[in-house]
Amino acid sequence: MQLSLAHHPISEIQFGVPARLEGAVLIVDPATLRRMILEDESIVSVDFDIARPGERCRAGPIFDVIEPRAKAPGCGADFPGILGAPITAGIGTTHVLTGAAVSVLAEISPDPTRSATGRVLEMSGAPVEASEYSSLQHLIVIPHTKPGLPRQTLEKAYRLAGIRVAVELARSAWNHLPVDLQTFEPVGPGEKGRDGLARVAYVGQIFSRQRKPAVDEPILYGANTDGMLPVMLHPDEWLDGAVVPSLHSWFGGTETYFYQNHPIILELYQRHHAREINFVGTVATIAGSDNFDRERHCRAAANLVKWNLNADGVVLSKYGGGLPHADLAETARLLEGMGIKTSVMVSDVSRDRRVESALLFNVPEVDAIVYNGGNGKQWQVPRVDRVIAATPEFVELLTGPMTIEASNIVGVTNQQGASRMRAMVY
Amino acid sequence: MDVGARHAVPVLTPVASRLVPYPEEFNMRIAHYLNQFFGGIGAEEHAGKGLEVRDSAVGPGRLLESLLGNDARIVLTLVCGDNYAVEHQEEITASVMAKVRQANVDLFVAGPCFDAGRYGMAAGALCRAVQAELSISAVTAMSEENPGVDLYRDALYIIDSGTTIANMRNVLDKMARLSRKLVTKEPIGLPHEEGYLRRGWLRDQLVEKKAATRLVDMLLAKMNGEPFDSEMPPTAFAPIPMPAGVKNLSRAKVMLITDGGLVPRGNPDKIEGTAATRWGSYSIEGRDDLRAEDYEVSHGGYDTRFVQEDPDRLVPLDALREMEKNGVIGKLHNEFISTCGRSNPLSNTRRLGREMAEKIKRDGVDAVILTST
Repeated sequence: MQLSLAHHPISEIQFGVPARLEGAVLIVDPATLRRMILEDESIVSVDFDIARPGERCRAGPIFDVIEPRAKAPGCGADFPGILGAPITAGIGTTHVLTGAAVSVLAEISPDPTRSATGRVLEMSGAPVEASEYSSLQHLIVIPHTKPGLPRQTLEKAYRLAGIRVAVELARSAWNHLPVDLQTFEPVGPGEKGRDGLARVAYVGQIFSRQRKPAVDEPILYGANTDGMLPVMLHPDEWLDGAVVPSLHSWFGGTETYFYQNHPIILELYQRHHAREINFVGTVATIAGSDNFDRERHCRAAANLVKWNLNADGVVLSKYGGGLPHADLAETARLLEGMGIKTSVMVSDVSRDRRVESALLFNVPEVDAIVYNGGNGKQWQVPRVDRVIAATPEFVELLTGPMTIEASNIVGVTNQQGASRMRAMVY
Repeated sequence: MDVGARHAVPVLTPVASRLVPYPEEFNMRIAHYLNQFFGGIGAEEHAGKGLEVRDSAVGPGRLLESLLGNDARIVLTLVCGDNYAVEHQEEITASVMAKVRQANVDLFVAGPCFDAGRYGMAAGALCRAVQAELSISAVTAMSEENPGVDLYRDALYIIDSGTTIANMRNVLDKMARLSRKLVTKEPIGLPHEEGYLRRGWLRDQLVEKKAATRLVDMLLAKMNGEPFDSEMPPTAFAPIPMPAGVKNLSRAKVMLITDGGLVPRGNPDKIEGTAATRWGSYSIEGRDDLRAEDYEVSHGGYDTRFVQEDPDRLVPLDALREMEKNGVIGKLHNEFISTCGRSNPLSNTRRLGREMAEKIKRDGVDAVILTST
């Protein structure tokens, strides 16, 4: 694998014709994007808006956040398996509009019983320091879907609209020299010249079978993961569009942006480059629907780490709600039993904010735990000048002033390792 | 070690003279609870002595008073024998509360109790009562092994005293610092910063390092055999003894209970689909099968389509009726209980379980089949 990320820093997004990149200013032509999006017959109309850091502006509910990226011509497929053939991601040059984001709005809350607002993008005020998204230049995509569509159909339409726009924007950079070209040192179980360094791998859940995926739900190279066993991925595949969140994950804190900028993989790369570790690879796995399912996946994931990657240590992360904690802990337990050290990252599901309710597993070997917070933190946010939403109801709901849960601000309770909100034990 | 039993009356460095005389008005008035040993009455042979009252600092109270600062004064010292306090807890609590209320104090301090179990239990009970009912800040100190800790750590700030009385000064110093913060309503820091025993509460805080960095840091420390701080202590629960088996199932009254959220259509008890605070009991009298059109599922944590198609998949009434007919079980109880188990904290589920158990006992049920999702 030889992924090169050609970075083009973006300091401003403007509407204009034709679409182009002028230095650090990205000029976006809404008409072109509209024509492209309306090819999807689920979407009847689409609006665009821009949200800038520091602006008294709020947008929501956010369905997904995507970094604008496009493969250089002849270098492979963008979001392979979704927008093109499922050829291997992570090879060749990918242009990146660094500092920019495409954020897709939904017309409904993901789970009205838990959150009327869904996840909100805040561009000003106290919450901005807790979410990396608040410091990006956002092109907001506001699709209006045909009434009466089943939920998964409209979610799929949102997903496709978002990634298509993200790719189209980044193609503006095709003919520009990047400001920075980021490359990664080789990673793999057999890389030479790293003798004596700790062999470290990553095992990440990409789906939880608490819910059966839709037949056409794209998750891994366009596949819905049904019937899948854990699979080895090169870290660059994660970074380059092989994996997207499931259609139903926009409440749980997993966004396309942090697969493209996977905090755990980038952290391991950094240590790899500093020769602190030998990063030997990654395994993508899923949380099972029952005990047999769990047993199969956990064992297969642990076996890949042991027999294919020959790792000495593993970091693990979960996907989805409470149940996947069991799969996470069981995989770590199996690894520890093979003599492989582990640390795991979990999300706060305590509800009553008590230590006794905090962990959904009781496995003595799983003793190195990163505990993400967010469930018990609220912010008072003021009335803002501008609300970007798909419906008048959401405009009214989001105008403020209001109290908003940290978990309802996109990027705060992220499950991919981006969160700086920690639940401390008092 | 039991402090009350092994030691003679402690000799503490007396605070001979204050540098500055007491001010006219004290900003902080304190009540202090001691056992017979630290209260200067005597060792274990005096553990049966009842409550005695002094109007100034006694024993460790003198040092505490000076550590609290010039504007603080212990205006009430309560001394009681360890046995008496534990054996007459209600009576002692009532009289201590009355005296504390009367003394108009800003702070209630008990101990330090080190690992003296009876002392710790009495101190914890009194601190909690004073804090909860009189809204007066309370502080005590114990060693982690003191049985008072597990009983009261969630309700109180308990300074970690360790087991060595030689640390008295250090312990009192921590108690004084924390007390001051409590009385002046300053924010209280983390357990290791303030020296109190972990209360088991979670509070969100923005930290400098993102989760991914902390995750890799922790792994590398663990791999290198270096100390690392897990962000969550392991969970430990008291073992629940296995109940005795059902002696004769063919005579037993069996009940079905589920936490999978099956409720009659319309969800009459409004059982929440997450962290349910309620449960319901629903009649299955005269039915051999649960029909899809009569039920819905209030549960957001699993794919409910299969249960919605056929509720017997979650609450197997059809199978149990068969067993009833064939004499495998004596009788199927004419109601099933349902709640939603999703993301439900223990503080809540304990109550739900207790309430269900009471009903089950009342209804004369011998055995329960619990179906979960």
